[in-house]
Amino acid sequence: MTITKKALPRRTFLRGLGTAVALPFLDAMVPALAAATTSKPPVRMAFVYVPNGIIMDGWNPDYEGALGELPRILKPLEPYRQDITLFGNLTHNTGRALLDGAGDHGRCCASYLTGVQPRKTVIDIKAGVSFDQIVANQVGKQTRFPSLELGMEDARQAGDCDSGYSCAYTNNLAWHSETQPLPPVLDPRALFERLFGNGMALTPAARARENLYRRSILDFVSDDTRKLETGLGPTDRRKLDEYLSSIREIERQIERAEKDNAQIDPHMDKPYGVPADFAEHFKLMSDMMTVAFQSDLTRVITFLVTHEGTSRPYREIDIPDGHHPLTHHRNQPDLIEKVTQINSYHVRQFAAWIAKMRTIREGDGSLLDNCMIVYGAGLSDGNRHLHEDLPTLIAGRGGSHFKTGRRIVYRKETPMCNLYLAMMDRMGVHVEHFGDSTGRLDALDLT
Amino acid sequence: MQFPGTAKPPVGIVFDSAMRRIDDALALAMLHGFEGKDQARIAAVCVSNADLQAAQFCDAVGRFYASATTGPAAMFMHFMPIGLADGKAAAESPMLSAPLAKKSADGKPVYATAVKSVNDTADGATLIRNVLMAQYDQNAAVVLSGPATDLARLLDMYGVKEWIARKVRLLCVADSGIQADAAAARKVFAEWPTPIVTAGREIGEALPFPGDSIDKDFAWSAERHPVVDAYRAYQPMPYDAPSWAMAAMLYAVHPDGGYFKLSGSGNRRELILDPEQKERIIRTYIEMASAKPVARKPRRPPDDKDKKEEQKKEEQKKEAAK
Repeated sequence: MTITKKALPRRTFLRGLGTAVALPFLDAMVPALAAATTSKPPVRMAFVYVPNGIIMDGWNPDYEGALGELPRILKPLEPYRQDITLFGNLTHNTGRALLDGAGDHGRCCASYLTGVQPRKTVIDIKAGVSFDQIVANQVGKQTRFPSLELGMEDARQAGDCDSGYSCAYTNNLAWHSETQPLPPVLDPRALFERLFGNGMALTPAARARENLYRRSILDFVSDDTRKLETGLGPTDRRKLDEYLSSIREIERQIERAEKDNAQIDPHMDKPYGVPADFAEHFKLMSDMMTVAFQSDLTRVITFLVTHEGTSRPYREIDIPDGHHPLTHHRNQPDLIEKVTQINSYHVRQFAAWIAKMRTIREGDGSLLDNCMIVYGAGLSDGNRHLHEDLPTLIAGRGGSHFKTGRRIVYRKETPMCNLYLAMMDRMGVHVEHFGDSTGRLDALDLT
Repeated sequence: MQFPGTAKPPVGIVFDSAMRRIDDALALAMLHGFEGKDQARIAAVCVSNADLQAAQFCDAVGRFYASATTGPAAMFMHFMPIGLADGKAAAESPMLSAPLAKKSADGKPVYATAVKSVNDTADGATLIRNVLMAQYDQNAAVVLSGPATDLARLLDMYGVKEWIARKVRLLCVADSGIQADAAAARKVFAEWPTPIVTAGREIGEALPFPGDSIDKDFAWSAERHPVVDAYRAYQPMPYDAPSWAMAAMLYAVHPDGGYFKLSGSGNRRELILDPEQKERIIRTYIEMASAKPVARKPRRPPDDKDKKEEQKKEEQKKEAAK
């Protein structure tokens, strides 16, 4: 690496043996006289998808406009309400039966980002290119990874997962082509190595060697780090230190998770390195998403928290019942209460991520300001399998584009794909139609 | 959006009206009557001008007919939103305001509606597009009684003309009122991809709905029927009401019922009254408009076999085209 008086290139890496660590957005990357005009941090987008719908009484505030007190499920986001936008009445018509009968879980997940009705089949699957991939195909050329697809629940990719719908529909969010879904990475260690291991999977022998010495990946790039630090100002040095510390912290968490796994249940049918605890797993994945955005490794992430139709129990919060059966609550208060607790638990993990994203300074604001992080589900009422008024919020300002801290209610049946068109605009990708869009979602902007 | 049954369900009707004349309200009651007797399904109800009260009235009528459904079927009952066109708000109409303002002894509205603001309605064109996607091929009909604003916008939507051609067998237009948006009317008559049949002025006037039916045939409702209240508020009683929208509705549901003759040939035709059918038509108006609400059966998905056969035919067509 060579440091000159010119601005530091945005794509600078700290390199070491088999390792390349990307850098966060530093002031040194902005040419001194052109800081305000030429180099704005990039806009990134992510989708955090939760399955089986939401108890909407606990999600929708009873007001529009400026966000005040938030309903129970969204309560964990209340301290950050100025950073979020809540949407009402967005609909995915292509998730509905439309003559295809049962299978709302398969349809709602497959249509969520593709905006098309998936073919009802377990063999010759067909949906559409998801909009995150349309964005990734254009902006992904500027980053090491066009997109990242993450998840937290091991799930098969074949067979019948919902009334004749292939598991490929319920278990993937991103679709590279109409027949090729992109399965999510579940294992934090695999993700870590993918992000920081120079793009090459380590061989078992190499991994064993690393494990033997238990060296931090940062040790491999220490020479480059020292060289870089000498050319940076105090603010950038602090940013770099915080950033490298966060990578080290992720390493420690992974090590801890692996250790804990061995202690808790050595017979667990999970990939090595996946924490047994849901919250810990979520935190690991979100920490890596943070670093991936911070270091501009990618600008597009989809995160399928658990797969659509999942019957995962939540013993972490004393709910041993399966999630999906609970959502068919038949209006029984005790079952509704349990689903509400699961919904709240998910939002709590998400809120912790948002809290972290807010603290990372970037450009004139925070990393979160330059993101559009959608949190939502493909069903609203999981009991009745409704595809309208989908629970949807965006955290972040999309690069200071969005006026946040509001609840915007659109007219009923407003296509979710209209939101996607608006988001694509902010990502610099201009498309006239997507899925069943009827136009761009209005009323989002600052003006 | 489809009724139970393994065979193709009855025709799905999109009713798009200004809901400014009493024949619009009677046609809506007729449509509910047809649905109760499994002769048609309500695919969508839209108001073709920017009249929130009209949307509230349509919603209240829907809920009035749904009130017969109780138990598990009610729990899973799903109300489609009412479509509402954009534009300048319409002046208040007593036909709408009277039933909506009617209160019971405890001060509560007699006819409940969930429509409080424009956001409780759907854009008419989007709603129609969405519901058409849920219809079997050639198993939907559109009834227009009022400006063609929604339908003209529908035609401008990306890829929708193909959906209309595939799903809709007929557009039936009540001529009276369509000129309120002349540009939209011209566009629809020029570009609509299915046959259009018009119920002209003379048809509606020659087939008046008898005012005495309100006291006689709706007596079962004991003065708790939104369309009866609308009828009483529309004009001083007693009066007979021209039936433009009702004629269009009847033909859309039963084009082969022998109720009307058609003028000319081709894709743009007009209804002609057969004097021998006059009494039968008016009898059908009364029977359907005054039908009691019927409890809905829990809906279950249609038989996949039909859909697969349709898909197979579609693929064969594509292959042949190649």
